[in-house]
Amino acid sequence: MDLSEVAERISQKIEARGASVDRQKVESRLRRLVEEFGVHIAEAERTVTNDLAREHSLSGIGGTSSELRAIHDVVPGEWVTIEGKIVALTPSLSPSIAQTGVIADSTGAIRFVTWTRAGAPMMEYGHWYRIESAVVDEYRGAPNLKIHSGTTISQMERDLPLVPSVTPIAELRPGVGSVRAKMIQEWDVVHNRMLQTGLLGDETGTIRFTIWKEDGKEKLELDTVYNIYYASVDEYQGRLSLNLSTATYIADEGDIEVGRNETAATGAIVHIAPGSGLIKRCPVEGCNRTLSRQNYCPVHEIQPNFRYDLRLKSVLDDGKRARNILLQRALVEELTGISLGDAVEIAESNPLGMDEVFYRIRGAVLGRYFTCSGNEIDGRLLVNTCTPVAFDPAELAALLNRAGGEAA
Amino acid sequence: MNRRQASFEREPARRVFASEFREIRVQFKETEDEKSPTYALLPSGVRCNRVFIVGTLTEKQRQGDQNVFYRGRVVDPTGTFFIMAGSYQPEAMQQLARIEPPAFVAVVGKPNVYETPDGAYLVSVRAESVSVVDRETRDLWVLDTARDTLDRLDAFGTTGDSRSAQEHYGTRPDVYRKIVYDALAQVQM
Repeated sequence: MDLSEVAERISQKIEARGASVDRQKVESRLRRLVEEFGVHIAEAERTVTNDLAREHSLSGIGGTSSELRAIHDVVPGEWVTIEGKIVALTPSLSPSIAQTGVIADSTGAIRFVTWTRAGAPMMEYGHWYRIESAVVDEYRGAPNLKIHSGTTISQMERDLPLVPSVTPIAELRPGVGSVRAKMIQEWDVVHNRMLQTGLLGDETGTIRFTIWKEDGKEKLELDTVYNIYYASVDEYQGRLSLNLSTATYIADEGDIEVGRNETAATGAIVHIAPGSGLIKRCPVEGCNRTLSRQNYCPVHEIQPNFRYDLRLKSVLDDGKRARNILLQRALVEELTGISLGDAVEIAESNPLGMDEVFYRIRGAVLGRYFTCSGNEIDGRLLVNTCTPVAFDPAELAALLNRAGGEAA
Repeated sequence: MNRRQASFEREPARRVFASEFREIRVQFKETEDEKSPTYALLPSGVRCNRVFIVGTLTEKQRQGDQNVFYRGRVVDPTGTFFIMAGSYQPEAMQQLARIEPPAFVAVVGKPNVYETPDGAYLVSVRAESVSVVDRETRDLWVLDTARDTLDRLDAFGTTGDSRSAQEHYGTRPDVYRKIVYDALAQVQM
């Protein structure tokens, strides 16, 4: 962060209280702390703000931030005081963490961590607490409330019912979120601590979810709509997923028409990658990996009873961006007019074998224009629909106007 | 955060007409690093590491004895591209060897500028792949290239690349608009 920005923010805070400050002096104080003494910027900001507040005999700003804040509005780098209800407690993953969970008020929710060294009282599920002078920072891209030795926690005599506000899936951000969504796919569990994983969807899109094995956690049922409150929204390699460890979920009535947040792209196919065409897959259940030419699976070794499959890994380029795309068998058959059966026959009756299938598929699609839409995962578009682009005279007319109209 | 893991991004293939392509003189690298891509600067103001062209292959020639390579001429509505494919482009060379001109072809390749000892410039495409396409694809390419060229001309003077194109080539956008117009006028409705 730029120090002059911080200085500006501090100055505005002080000036809002009617005192006047010299921005350059503020900045040089900050610089001294940060550059000479290696103080963290957030800490330097707090120190300078406090010093100035003391000098001008102001109260209610800086570290003594007793001003109550809405959870929805807090941002990383702030010292805050909030009041909220503990809506989830999760097992601590490390001895240096005393407690973790989610605290919510009527505006939103945030994950919190209590350090063991803070010596803070343990909070109980379902109770309201006032937390003074906690620090908001960022953990894996999501805001996180840190309770440290300077934080004061007091239990409140209050029990307001909290109705979490539901967020459309397309608008979820890392942090904590509540959704109303339908379970639309169940995927194979790949980890023995995992209870269930799959895909949830609402009208705006879909998101992956995971439930870890813990006491009292139940699986979701396919094609059922759930209200899911206070799930953790994690970001991994640019993709969001919902972790239901912190969540409470109950089945709801009704149905949802799930929207697909698909990416569409139009361009020319400029490259066909190796591994396209006719391929062999490992027959072991749940494996499905591509076998090498020697029928070797990286996990299950030699597999003579492989399955054949067709696919196309290539690059769709619109002149501004080159996208990796992957087409499954049905689309390859449709685009090239070569069915899987045809492809196997070509491979078995031709001296070039599987290469001949590769060449024929390449001949059918390379250098041609297509519109593809599908889901983009890890920088690759998994194509659901793909259509050749047709020549449109209206487009020609529009371009002629555009080129000619402005030349005069 | 995980910016370092940001995976490799393939350079897009620019759409450019032959009469603009043959004006390329400037090639540059962004960094000194050996692996950093070489860009050609297009007169319409964009860097270009790869091109996608569609036109008519009018002739091809096999050359060399030990190091066989192919040359070809690909014609678009504005002029001619010279394409080459040698033993370092085996895919393109084999494809080109099979194609009998005249044929509509789509070529993906890298721009290459060579200055002869007497100061003349030879601008060509070192092909990565050559494939036979149809007339409709050619027409789509003309529209696509016209649109991209107009987009570049509209942004001319507002981007870093276009300012350096102005400096090196003294580009006059209306000349290229005329080229685009003439190219479009040759496409049948």
